[in-house]
Amino acid sequence: MPENIELSSRKSVFLMAIGLIFAAFLFRLVQLQILYEDVYGEKSKENSIRQIARDPIRGLIYDRNGILIVDNRPSYTVVLMPAEFDTGNVNYLAEILRLEPSAIKEKYVKGMAYNRFTPVKIKRDIDFPTLSVIEENRDRLRGIDYQVESKRYYPTKAKATHLFGYTKEISDQELMEMGNEYKPGDNIGASGLEAAYERYLRGHKGYELITVNAKGQMLGAFNEGKTDIAVKEGNILSLAIDSDLQAFAESSLTNRRGAVVAIDPSDGGILALVSKPDYDLTMFGSVIPRDVWVSLNSDSSTPLFNRATLTRYPPGSTFKMVLAAAAIQEGVISTNWRIQCPGAFRFGTKVFKDHIPHGSTNVVEAIQRSCNVFFYQLMLKTGLEKWNRFGREFGFGSPTGIDILEETAGLLPSEEYFDRVYGKGRWTQGYLVSLGIGQGEVGVSPLQMACYASTIGNKGNYYTPHVVQKIRDKETGQILDIQPGSRQVMFSEETWDVLRQGMYKCVNEPGGTGAAARVRGIVVAGKTGTAENPPHKDHAWFIGFAPMDHPKIAICVLVENAGFGGAIAAPIAGMCIEKYIYRQLIRGIPNREVASVKSIPEEADTSKNE
Amino acid sequence: MNSWLRENIDYITLLTVLLLLVIGIVSVYSATYDAGASMYFHRQVIWACAGVLIMFSIMLVPFRMLQLLSYPLYGLSVAVLFAVLLVGKVVGGSKSWLGIGGLGLQPSEIVKVTTVLALASYLSQRNINLRRLKHLAVIFGFVLLPVLLIVLQPDMGTAVIYLGMLVIILYWAGASNFLMLTLLAPAVAALATLFGTTAFLIVVLLTLFLLFILRENRLISAFIFSTTVLVGVSVQFIFSKLAPHQQKRIITFLNPDSDPLKAGYNVIQSKIAIGSGGMFGKGFLHGTQTQLNFLPAQWTDFIYCVPSEEFGFIGAFAILFLITVLLVRGVQTASIVKSRYASFVVIGVTAIFAVHTIINIGMSMGVLPVIGVPLPFLSYGGSNLLTNMIMAGLLLNMYTNRKEY
Repeated sequence: MPENIELSSRKSVFLMAIGLIFAAFLFRLVQLQILYEDVYGEKSKENSIRQIARDPIRGLIYDRNGILIVDNRPSYTVVLMPAEFDTGNVNYLAEILRLEPSAIKEKYVKGMAYNRFTPVKIKRDIDFPTLSVIEENRDRLRGIDYQVESKRYYPTKAKATHLFGYTKEISDQELMEMGNEYKPGDNIGASGLEAAYERYLRGHKGYELITVNAKGQMLGAFNEGKTDIAVKEGNILSLAIDSDLQAFAESSLTNRRGAVVAIDPSDGGILALVSKPDYDLTMFGSVIPRDVWVSLNSDSSTPLFNRATLTRYPPGSTFKMVLAAAAIQEGVISTNWRIQCPGAFRFGTKVFKDHIPHGSTNVVEAIQRSCNVFFYQLMLKTGLEKWNRFGREFGFGSPTGIDILEETAGLLPSEEYFDRVYGKGRWTQGYLVSLGIGQGEVGVSPLQMACYASTIGNKGNYYTPHVVQKIRDKETGQILDIQPGSRQVMFSEETWDVLRQGMYKCVNEPGGTGAAARVRGIVVAGKTGTAENPPHKDHAWFIGFAPMDHPKIAICVLVENAGFGGAIAAPIAGMCIEKYIYRQLIRGIPNREVASVKSIPEEADTSKNE
Repeated sequence: MNSWLRENIDYITLLTVLLLLVIGIVSVYSATYDAGASMYFHRQVIWACAGVLIMFSIMLVPFRMLQLLSYPLYGLSVAVLFAVLLVGKVVGGSKSWLGIGGLGLQPSEIVKVTTVLALASYLSQRNINLRRLKHLAVIFGFVLLPVLLIVLQPDMGTAVIYLGMLVIILYWAGASNFLMLTLLAPAVAALATLFGTTAFLIVVLLTLFLLFILRENRLISAFIFSTTVLVGVSVQFIFSKLAPHQQKRIITFLNPDSDPLKAGYNVIQSKIAIGSGGMFGKGFLHGTQTQLNFLPAQWTDFIYCVPSEEFGFIGAFAILFLITVLLVRGVQTASIVKSRYASFVVIGVTAIFAVHTIINIGMSMGVLPVIGVPLPFLSYGGSNLLTNMIMAGLLLNMYTNRKEY
């Protein structure tokens, strides 16, 4: 060719161009296949592998005797696959499921945004006729299917509504906080043990990995199922609860408002925890119907409220042992110190009443007969500081640390408290007088009271009350033993004797206010209380333990607006003790109005200020 | 005889072509393995065998005869192309197939070769001067005639190939920088304007700068400059007048990520396929993107994804390397052959391979817009493969006859 020089220059332009393009493509290849391999690898997996979640079965719950008390039953849940659902069917589906079309639409839109291939739960716990309609219309209702889920079932008579608690569908807020473990539509424990032990009970979801093609058709297990994650059932809880006692205590409060808490004084295990009125957990199924929820919430008797752990009522005379302990232990008085009870106590211009004149009374007799005048005077002698300190020794004024989440600290006033509320120097000793008999600005829960009774019963071991004793991993069989926390209350033998003698005589000797708690063949020690609740009827209290020397049960009974503790609460406590220790009622089926208490001296530790 | 074989066969080209052919067959096998399309594989094998025979036949055709037949072959193929417009089958929305005895043939493929032959024939004449408008018009005519027929079919990809090939051949024929600029500036400006005003302004300024450097006739320079600006502005204007869905199509064409589920789907899946292959790939027949059909009809235009996913960087690089060797070899051959005709044929064929490869691989890797263009020797398709083998045969022929004037 003639233009040889020019030709070679053009040749080199071409070669350079080829080289440049080669380099550019090579760079791009390195970028895609080496630098961003992870990103594209992940995308390729997302493309072709679909995760199908398998919900775990919630953990079972057994009582202390190995009786299954919380079980599961299958329930049918209607689900919608957003990718396949035809929105033209919304109204038809709403009609079948008796839902609002807008509710279905909302779930559809949410599901579409989350992941269009993840089924959204539309309605839980549908009945069999509804299920049949869906099954018959499968062709028409593309993208609609049902899943078998489990719902809670309670095989025994023990309802334990507030103790077991309920589960509910996870909220968007919780979903954000909980992260990956939960998906929309999952159930989560909302109260009681279900909430407190959620992470043990829920188990772990299983995931099946399915290979799908570009059309989303499932082709079979990915990697022959080797990479699937197996469902892990929830752990099994063994409770300290005695389901017989629980059921019995519940029935003893039928048509009443109140609470029963029974504790094993040897380790703080909760034997029974009852709050009435309650509601039927099975109404909730696996999801709470809105109308049920609204009616429970608006009920003036507050059935959702756990009275056993959340009430803050004045304890009345049941609190007298706190003051007695402070006075004896601190040497304020001796056991021989006596007062004359004329039936009323004048302090300044105020008169604090007693129900009867008790005459000459020492500390043990004052507990036995619930003499108010004795404790008015003793309170002034002992002072707020010691009373408060000993109250705290028995666990008042702070949460007990029970293993359910709903609990109140109560109120145990101190000087700082009065200074804060009334101003420094603006409150007088007169404010204290009624505290001596557990009235006024003091608030306790039945749970705290049961712990208090238990600590007197075992002479100073304050165990953290707990419901769950063991957690068993169903897969590995590993058992986690819950070691109860405990703390020593260091009183002298003399102090314990005073409290215990007083409580013994209260139930077992003439003049005691707690005779209705007697059980044949078992020595019961206890103390009645009647907490003033103007303008309504008084709250009846009883605390006690039995058998006295080696107590197996400590109990607190509270009945709201029922009258005298000795008449109302004491017999319930007695029957519970009997039921627990004998496994049956030897006194026969009781008449709940308890006619026999008529002969017992009435106590009314009211302190009507005049 | 042995020494003849040693001296007169372009082993580099031959070996490269055969290797690419094998990789192509393997890729088509994998791409159609589980897609219920194994007939594609069988056909491809038959075409490959036929292709090898054709390649050697073309190699052995007397050089003079080829040159003499250039115009008649061109005329015949264009006539066939015209026939397609009248009686062709519609496949994939475009009417470019001619049914001949059950086998669909795409005449636009073979016309690429005949156009190269005709151009080479014309350009090899001593008196051709690229500065003469009449000669330029003839050259453009050779290309525009089939392009117009193809665009009517319509087949954008093939048309782009022709224009790319024309630019390269013209440059090889000694077109001045000024001529190249005249050809390229308006096209680049049109494209740039779709990317935004800034890109358009840069192109306009660059054109102005180059025109200034080249110091050609001021009147013509001004004309070229205003043409460039006018084309850019009018494209912008036409774009703004388009219906939103048409605008969207163009935007997706330029940026597939803007519409991941529809038009952009292929490119995204293609990038995933290549990227997830990693260094060593997922293994033959184990590419999930390939085997689960995430790429529609990947045995044709997106074939590059298949070896890239299953053999990883190693596979993807090997293909890139082999094609680069083929192109470099083509440029070398074009510069050593004694005959101007042979030189133009070789450079034309190489240009066609180059433009195909750049558009196809660039598209698969998501750096160029999606234009349906097959990858030489790898993509499934009889007409295309046979045409590629004919072109390979031409390369071999020109090398064999490199000493002929």
